Amino acid sequence: MSETPRRSSRLNKNQEESSKPKPKLVDNDIEMEEAPEHLHSYATRTYPKLSLPSAAFSPLLDIKQHFVLFTKSAKTHEARFAIRALRSVASLRKRLNAHVLARVVAGAFGKDEDVRKRLVGYLGPEAATSITAEDEASLTKHDTPEVDVYLHLLVMIYLLDQGQLEKGIELSNLTISIVQELNRRSLDQLAAKVYFYYARFYEVAGRLAEIRPTLLSAQRTATLRRDDDTQSTLINLLLRNYFHYNLYDQADKLVSKTTFPENATNNQLARYMYYLGRIKAIQLEYTESHQCVLQAVRKAPQNNVTAGFQQEANKLLIIVQLLLGEIPERSLFRQPVLRKALLPYFQITQAVRVGDLSKFQETLAAHSATFHADKNYTLILRLRHNVIKTGIRMISLSYSRISLRDVCLKLHLDSEEDAEYIVAKAIRDGVIDATIDHEKGFMRSKENVDIYSTNEPQHAFHQRIGFCMKLHNDSVKAMRFPLKTVNIDAAEVEAARDQERTLVQEIAEADEDMDEDHDEL
Amino acid sequence: MAITEVKHLAQALNKEYNVPNPDLAKCGQYLSQLKIALIELQYLTHEDKHNNIEELTLARDVLEIGAQWSVRTQDIPSFERYMAQLQTYYNDHSELPASPLKYNLIGLNLLCLLSQNRISDFHTALEMIEPEEFHNNPAIQHPIKLEQSLMEGSYNRVWSSRSEVPAKEYLFFIDILMDTIRNEIASCSEKAYTSLPLKDAGTLLFFTNMEDILNFAKERNWKVNPVEQKAYFHSDADEKINIPADQIIQQTMFYARDMDRIV
Repeated sequence: MSETPRRSSRLNKNQEESSKPKPKLVDNDIEMEEAPEHLHSYATRTYPKLSLPSAAFSPLLDIKQHFVLFTKSAKTHEARFAIRALRSVASLRKRLNAHVLARVVAGAFGKDEDVRKRLVGYLGPEAATSITAEDEASLTKHDTPEVDVYLHLLVMIYLLDQGQLEKGIELSNLTISIVQELNRRSLDQLAAKVYFYYARFYEVAGRLAEIRPTLLSAQRTATLRRDDDTQSTLINLLLRNYFHYNLYDQADKLVSKTTFPENATNNQLARYMYYLGRIKAIQLEYTESHQCVLQAVRKAPQNNVTAGFQQEANKLLIIVQLLLGEIPERSLFRQPVLRKALLPYFQITQAVRVGDLSKFQETLAAHSATFHADKNYTLILRLRHNVIKTGIRMISLSYSRISLRDVCLKLHLDSEEDAEYIVAKAIRDGVIDATIDHEKGFMRSKENVDIYSTNEPQHAFHQRIGFCMKLHNDSVKAMRFPLKTVNIDAAEVEAARDQERTLVQEIAEADEDMDEDHDEL
Repeated sequence: MAITEVKHLAQALNKEYNVPNPDLAKCGQYLSQLKIALIELQYLTHEDKHNNIEELTLARDVLEIGAQWSVRTQDIPSFERYMAQLQTYYNDHSELPASPLKYNLIGLNLLCLLSQNRISDFHTALEMIEPEEFHNNPAIQHPIKLEQSLMEGSYNRVWSSRSEVPAKEYLFFIDILMDTIRNEIASCSEKAYTSLPLKDAGTLLFFTNMEDILNFAKERNWKVNPVEQKAYFHSDADEKINIPADQIIQQTMFYARDMDRIV
């Protein structure tokens, strides 16, 4: 029984997080952690007992409400309260100002406490004057350090929005050391955010290389403590850090030596998949790269806030698809969020589709600056080879016999000898099915083989059935039944759960059997 | 060993290496002494950011000579070690004055990766090069063009690139590359032609005398007909395709089992 509540709380958490919007990733926009307002109101509506109706209007009350949530989260060891508070930080961010922050700080710390002096100091001299006697009077001490760290985080966000980088870097260093000293599990979600803004400050200041050792050691600690949130955030921060300096080699080593936590939020997973896809693309492992980027695109929430990430991920997706020899769907380029950003990529796609080498070179030259800025130039350069391949395939399909001289002219190649080598290589790589007659200098295409006379349909059939079966089995395994069922007969639930358990067991056993069968055969 | 001694040694090495026909064995001796000395001094890098630019440049120059020396003595593992050590100086110490040899060595490294067919490492290394150098530096452009021609299959261009090398150290790797290419061409030809006159095979494979061609044909198991002067390649067209019975039985059993569970 002890297993079940934990599981259900995790499920709950996942549901909450899947509705969380995806921050922009690659865009240099400072607005990284935006959330649409309606999400906040969604939280308010669903949990009316916890959020006061007026809370939505005053940032001051909002923050105080968050204090309650953090305290509750620390006392009950339920991460979801902290997550809920952190989720509304994005909407709070727009309403933050020095006065509000100063008043909140005054409401949480006594006049002579060091923390208060420090935080108000960061907010600037005017902020101190806005503290009213009422704030002093309403002083409520919080005995949990979460509130302390949360206030630090808010001040950090404020400094970032104000562009006060020097101060922000100082404060974030301080906050990091506080978080590291405390070592509390209830701080995990907050710590992840603190690290995020810490890295953001250094990135905006252009000093990313300096924080690598700190991030690496924090990542080790987080892994040892099984702190999923911090771990996933830190891995992504490190990857972003390496990518910023084009250190793909080191990024690859990091990926191979770490395991990305399974319970990481969707947003972190989407980022990780994007980074992974990029590494794989550079290493010429296009199939894997395609899978990763596709997952990144699908996991990322589809709204205007995440436009930056969607654009970047889709650009990469298009290139990888082209490198694989596939042509991306036309509808992709029509989406309003993507249309403008993807225009250069659209033209490249067209050139590859028709196998026109000169058009490809033209497009490449025209948009070279864009491709460099997107860090996709070298990947696109590799497409030249694909353009030639498509060209050869077109020729092979339309002519049963063609002289190498004509191939050379059609593909704008340098010489007939070149054409011969290129065609020979295409034959070897399985691009076309043909033979070359060297003495007479022509290429003869072989008759098309009937695909239904091979084993190919059988493979495709098996693949599809396997996919359907897996989907069914996975859904059975993922089924959960409500813990507290007031209305349903308890015995019925128990029976259903038993049934589920046997089913899962059966599937596991069957898998083992399959393995044995396999061995016997 | 003190820093003054290292400086002294480095000067001696510099002098020895930069004459028209350097004594490579002697340079090797200097280099191994210097390496030990540098390790003792932690390669003149300090954790606390108070690096002496002059000292760092010294260490970098020694390593650069080391890398070139390795190419001349045809020692690839040693070249790779020197390059790995040099990366720190090129990437993490932007305060150093740019080295004139930097892009030459990076180009060499690219070519080295290419000649060993480590294409994915080649592309990873390529990403680290700044865009302006990428387009304008002949030392970088050479390996990039080479890789493109290789991927396309324009082996002719690879062959002619031999005469356009930016530095004489490049030739060492290009020669290694030539062997790789020959094998590539051979495997393409096996698939693309049913038969090929020996003389033409020689032109395709960049051989000049008949004996080399015959030896090569033997290596690759080509059937040579001495009367016609033709090489015949093995064709796999008449191989029989069997019905994969085992596999189909297995798959059908799997379907049955799973369907049973659903029903």
